[in-house]
Formats: sequence, structure tokens, C-alpha cells
Amino acid sequence: MTAVAVTAFALALSGQLPRLPDGLPVAGHLPEEAHLLLGRKGLLAKEPATLLALCAAHLALGVPPGRPTPPPPSADLTAVVVSSNLGNAHSVRTAAHAVRHGSYRDISPLAGPNLSANVIAGTIALRYGLAGANLTACSGAAGGLQALRLGALLLRAGRAERVVVVGVEPDDATARALQAARGPESHGAPPRAQAACVILEAPPTPPRRNALLLGRFTHHGSRPPDPPHHSSALRTFGTDLSSLGPGYGADGVVRTAVAAAWLRGRTHCSWLRVTSGDRSDGYMSARLGQFERRKAE
Amino acid sequence: MTAVITGCELLTCFGNRQQTFAALLAGRCGAAPLRHLDGTRLGVTHGYQIADGNEELPLRPSRWLARCVTDVVRAARLDVSGRRISALVGTGLREIRGLERWGPGDLPPDPAGLHFAEAVRSALPGVAEVVTLANACAASGHALALACDLLAIGEADAVLVAGCDGLAASMLALMGRTAAAPAERVSPFDRDRKGVLLGEGAVALVLEPEEAVVAEGRTALGRVLGVGLSCDAHHMTAPDPVGITRAVRDAHRRAGITPGDVELVIAHGTGTALNDPNEATVLREVFTPHASPGPLVTAIKGAIGHTSGSAVLHSVAVALDIFRTGRVPPITGLHRPIDELRGLRPVVGGTVTAAMRRAQVHGFGFGGVNSVGVLEATS
Repeated sequence: MTAVAVTAFALALSGQLPRLPDGLPVAGHLPEEAHLLLGRKGLLAKEPATLLALCAAHLALGVPPGRPTPPPPSADLTAVVVSSNLGNAHSVRTAAHAVRHGSYRDISPLAGPNLSANVIAGTIALRYGLAGANLTACSGAAGGLQALRLGALLLRAGRAERVVVVGVEPDDATARALQAARGPESHGAPPRAQAACVILEAPPTPPRRNALLLGRFTHHGSRPPDPPHHSSALRTFGTDLSSLGPGYGADGVVRTAVAAAWLRGRTHCSWLRVTSGDRSDGYMSARLGQFERRKAE
Repeated sequence: MTAVITGCELLTCFGNRQQTFAALLAGRCGAAPLRHLDGTRLGVTHGYQIADGNEELPLRPSRWLARCVTDVVRAARLDVSGRRISALVGTGLREIRGLERWGPGDLPPDPAGLHFAEAVRSALPGVAEVVTLANACAASGHALALACDLLAIGEADAVLVAGCDGLAASMLALMGRTAAAPAERVSPFDRDRKGVLLGEGAVALVLEPEEAVVAEGRTALGRVLGVGLSCDAHHMTAPDPVGITRAVRDAHRRAGITPGDVELVIAHGTGTALNDPNEATVLREVFTPHASPGPLVTAIKGAIGHTSGSAVLHSVAVALDIFRTGRVPPITGLHRPIDELRGLRPVVGGTVTAAMRRAQVHGFGFGGVNSVGVLEATS
């Protein structure tokens, strides 16, 4: 097994949406409306990035609206991998500011968990009872594809039977200023809070028609692969993701979710390449394709 | 396929690997009053810090990491040309100190400096990928597990596995907010423990497949038999013995050993009411029914502090030095063991001389993330 199966996917983002493929579940809530999907309990002091990540995971896992019931089957073998760079940046800055002008007494213990970058992955595991390996990648612009690659690695190494991969970035004053400080290729539409979830499993045996396989993760260094980043396949099938703004750590998962939804059920296209990254963090690509075509190719 | 460690370099409050192991054997405690941060505002007055100048330089963890990587690449004679080399860096706090020091009116820090790709590439330009794994206090244990996986499935010819962390005001303030009273040192498994303190440090190891190393006639420092991972999915901050036990069993299964094969445990041992009784209980349940007299238990955070993202690999480095020297350092800061340690063999009061061949290393973190590694001596 070198590729893994993409078995579910979803997005969480609000506001004006670009044209997205049919069959792509989208939680269109603002972070502060997340309780409409997740139920109210257990959301106190959660950051916007955590709330959006939960919304995307909730839809991809196929959980009915409201607080989830007992853990799903094989919860011990369900891993979680999150990619986010700025998820908790605003919390860190706010806490440091509070201490600079006051003291530790001004820190809220309830918001304390938000000072750890792995709060998002930990919260997903806790809420859905997912007790397999739990990873957080904070690797910059290629982090989303890296998270998918780590998810595939967990499956191939026998550490998990199912991996919930989430990419998420918030939109707040800190995130906006940091995004603006990135290289020119990330500029364009303003950043927007966004999350995506892609669920990976071992490929079905025997091979099943229309199963989507993800693999061939490739590192390209500081030069985008050919075809260039901005004429990626996503443009060619009529979805322009540039209006979402720079996805940064979410980008690779967002693109994979959109591409998977587009490929599913298509007969005239058997595979495409998902690319993500920037000049300073490097570019990565992965290949997403349908089972039978992939073998014939 | 078994992974072997062909190089290991580190930095702690005591200095490099040799200096750190000597300090551990001598039972020294590296805690000192905070250098760059205002303890009265933070509710934490002490830390285990790296003395790198009176002024607080930017990107300190990145500098320490780059230094360890440079040294380990040289020591392991890591040849990049034509080989697929991955780097996995475990960290708890990344470079968030840069976010903390970013005041109103200042230019924002470069977000690429929040993670460690640039630090690793500056010391190892040919590296194919750099993954920054922010897995709290178990981060470098997770990096070690994934490094073994990359070698096992043949996706890398060698893996640089590393960790680094410095002090951050936001995390110290949270510790100050939740502690009953400020601690001045870490006392793992001690009845009079006052809580945890952070330690600064970095660490870098090179992992390669044993077959390739043997074929080239090179020597290794130790073998990584297996690393187990789990997530409690139980509570964000309170560890769960069930989740920890799953990681221990997973490690033993991957290593192909039984509890009776373990001769030494380097425990997580944070000197907190949340960790120590739970961890000791798990050790008792895993080892006492199987092994007599059971493994020796030591821990290093009383000496070098909780080095967060580096913590697991710091323990791995100490295990390698124990294999090499046959000397097991005591648990610095442990004088009156807690009841839960009864039936176990903590190293208290002084160094124990004993040839050790197999060690188990623990690292648990916020979010319920657990990693347990099993190492073996190669000579």
C-alpha cells in the first residue's frame, strides 16, 4: 500500500463562497455560531480556529448535529492530525499583553489550554473520543499537505485504521498582520477563517470503483512544481479558491477536500495533483485519483 | 527494519551532552532565578535556562536547534548527497516568544520564523522536508515514532529527529496562575513536590536503518526498538492511566518485548500532583506482576527542568549515555518517594552502577498525548 483512501471530506467557512463542487459538505457558520452544529456544551473559551476545526470534523465524521454520543467504533485506532500555524497566535499574544500590563492573575485558566498549539487536535480527540495517535503540524504553508502525509504514514505504519486530518487557520487581528508579513505570493484576497477535514483510511480491498486514493507526496523545495501553483488543476475545473484568501496551514487540506469532491463521480478525469506551499516554506504536492484509472494509467 | 541512532547532540542549562550527563550523575539541579522575564508578574520565579547572554536574543530555540543539528550532522557524518533525508522537530512552544515580544507599533515577526524549517535548513541544507510537530511535552517522542515509521516503510534513508523549546511568558503565567505556590526546583515523585518548572534546551539525533549502518561498518549509539503512541481522549490536562498504559503496551508490542525485558525506565516525572502518582501507578501495574525485581526508575526533570518539546529526546540521550557508561543517574530532587512508587526501584541519593541494555522512555503532554519508546544498547 503506498496510497491511502480518502473516504470523507468537509469544509467549514462562512461568508461569500466560491463555486464549490457538488457533494462537498460545508459548514457555513461563523465561529461564534458553531454551537448550531456542535451543540452548546463544551465550547466555553474555545478559540475560533478550534470551533471551525470541530465543525469541519463534525461534518466529515457524519455526526448528527449536537453533542456527539459515545465514541465511534475503533476509536483507539482513529488518529487525529491537525495543521495550523496561527490557530492560537492571538491567544498567546493576548496573554503576553495581559502579563506585560498586569500579572499572571489576569490570565484566564479557562482559556489556558489555548496557549498550547495542539489544543485543536486535543479538543477534536476529546470531543469525539478519538484515542489514536494525535499530531499537530505547525510547518507553515505546506503544513496542510504535510498533515495529510503524516496521516498516510500513521495508516501505513499500522498506528491507525482511520485518520481525521484537519487544516485550519483563523481570521483575527494577529492572524491578519502575520499573513500580511508573508511573502508576496500569499497576497491577494484578504485572509478568511477556514477549516477543512479529510478522512483517510486504508484502501478498500478488493479495490472498489470510484474509491479516491491519495499518495505520491512530493517535496519541491522553494520552486513551485510545474504547472505553477496559480494555474493548478483546481482552476481548470471551475473552482477558483483564490477568493478564500491565503489558506496557509489549512490550504493543503482545503484543496484536497475540494478536489476530492470534484473527482468523486467524474468519469472524464481520473486524477489530479494538489499543490500547496510558498517560497519560504517550500512547496509540496500530492496525487489524488480514482482507483481503477490510477491502476490503468 | 530496526532504526539505530548514529548521532546525538544536545543543549540544556548545563551545556552540551557530556556536561549534562556529568551534572546528572552528580545530582546537580540547574534551576535559577529567571533571567529575561519578570517572575513577580508571572507567578513563576525560577527556570532551568541556557545562559546565552544578558540580552534576550530573538529566536533563541532556533539558534540552539541549529547548533545541535550542525554538531550532530558532523558527529554522525551524515551524508546528504543523493539520500532522502527528512527532519522532524518536536516543540511545545515553537517560537511564540516572538509573538509575545511583538508590541503595539512593532512590525510583526516573520511567520516562517514560528516554525523550524529555516533553522534546520541552515545547518542541513540538503534536507528534503522539515516537519515542525507541536505536540506539547511529548512532541519529540512523537517525532521519534514517526522517524521510525519513515525508515520502516522506506520513505527516508535517514531521519534527523530533534526538539527545542525556550521559556515563554504566556506559558509561565498560566503555570503561575494554576500553581498553589511557586516552585524553586522540580522534585519528581517526591512527597514534598511543589510543581513543574520549564527548562530550556534543544536536541538532535540521527536515525538510520541498522542494516545500512552495519553494512558500512559504522557504529551506532543505540537501537530504537519501538515507539508507542496514544491519546487519552479523556481530559485536556489531567493524564489518564488508561491512555498511558495503551502507549506502553503499544511500545512493547512494536519492540517485540515483554515488560520483563525492560531494565530501566526514564520516567516523565514532572513533580506534579497530576503526573507523578498516575505515572507511578501505571509503572507498578505494568511491571510488578511480570518482573522481579523490576526495572530501575530514574527521571531527569529535577536536574534540567521540563524541557517540553525536547524532553523525550533528552531522556533518550541520557539512556544512550547510561548504555555507554553503565552508570544510572539518580532522580535529582527526590528525597521522600510518594507511596505510589512502592514496589518500584527509583534511583535515589546517588548513581547506581549497572550494565543496562534496554530502557523505556516516557513523555506525556497536554491534550492527553502519550509517547513511550523502547531503546536497546548496541554494544
